[in-house]
Amino acid sequence: MKVFIDPPNSLILFDIVERFGHEPLSTMAALQERVNSMEIDMPPMNVTLDDVIRGLKYAGIEVPSGIRGRLAVWGPMIDEADAAIVMEEAPFAFGCVGCERTNVMVKYLLKRKGIPILFAKYPEDGDEARRFVARAREFLEGLG
Amino acid sequence: MSGKKETRLLMISPASTVTPDLLSRTIHSMGRPVTVKETCYGCLIEGPPEELREIRDEARKMDPHGIYSKVRAYPAGDPRRCRAQHGTRPGYAQLEWEWKALAHMRYALDCEAAGEAPPAEKTRKRIPPREFKDICEEIE
Repeated sequence: MKVFIDPPNSLILFDIVERFGHEPLSTMAALQERVNSMEIDMPPMNVTLDDVIRGLKYAGIEVPSGIRGRLAVWGPMIDEADAAIVMEEAPFAFGCVGCERTNVMVKYLLKRKGIPILFAKYPEDGDEARRFVARAREFLEGLG
Repeated sequence: MSGKKETRLLMISPASTVTPDLLSRTIHSMGRPVTVKETCYGCLIEGPPEELREIRDEARKMDPHGIYSKVRAYPAGDPRRCRAQHGTRPGYAQLEWEWKALAHMRYALDCEAAGEAPPAEKTRKRIPPREFKDICEEIE
């Protein structure tokens, strides 16, 4: 099954989803096509006209362009997802995901879609990591 | 074999005894049609997606819970990202942060493989007024 991960560029989540036999939906895979396209010089900092139009499906015209640009990449992945794992209170330094408004919109879109979602926190010690791995395993194995 | 190429990042947990050098050499010695670039955190491998998944599984035999991987959007050595060519590296802060958490993940996966149940979550509860009063008196 396709599992959306949030933060969508997280190494830990990408690895855990693959380890337990599912396909993670990540920013990196979505951006790979854009990176190889000659039209875009410096993704993800530039967006094309098509991205702006695609972003309008997920956020209104009054929403800042940065949020719309991000949702143009993540929105189609949410549409495609069968389940999601969301890390709450992720450090804001997470590169291109350092936009709290977009993160709030992503959580809203996921909840509106009605797919199974696992909310977790980044482990800060061994015991927290054990609880997180146990929950992730149970959730991912339960997806079938 | 399809012509599609993918780049994958392999990162070693700080709790692992595997080094980036050992990881890169092991992947080189597999003789697969992929490009390998050693980095400070592990290595980057580039080639057909199916090959990369097989290499990841092979490499993990050295330390099953100590080597982590994810897909990378940019090819290895891309001038827009490669430090050697003064490229920007906006995602590096995140990689560094997650690298620190990998030691906990390794411990958790080891315990999981050994069949140990995770410890119960600590619950915060109110302390009785008498106990609170004792603490206050101790501080005074």
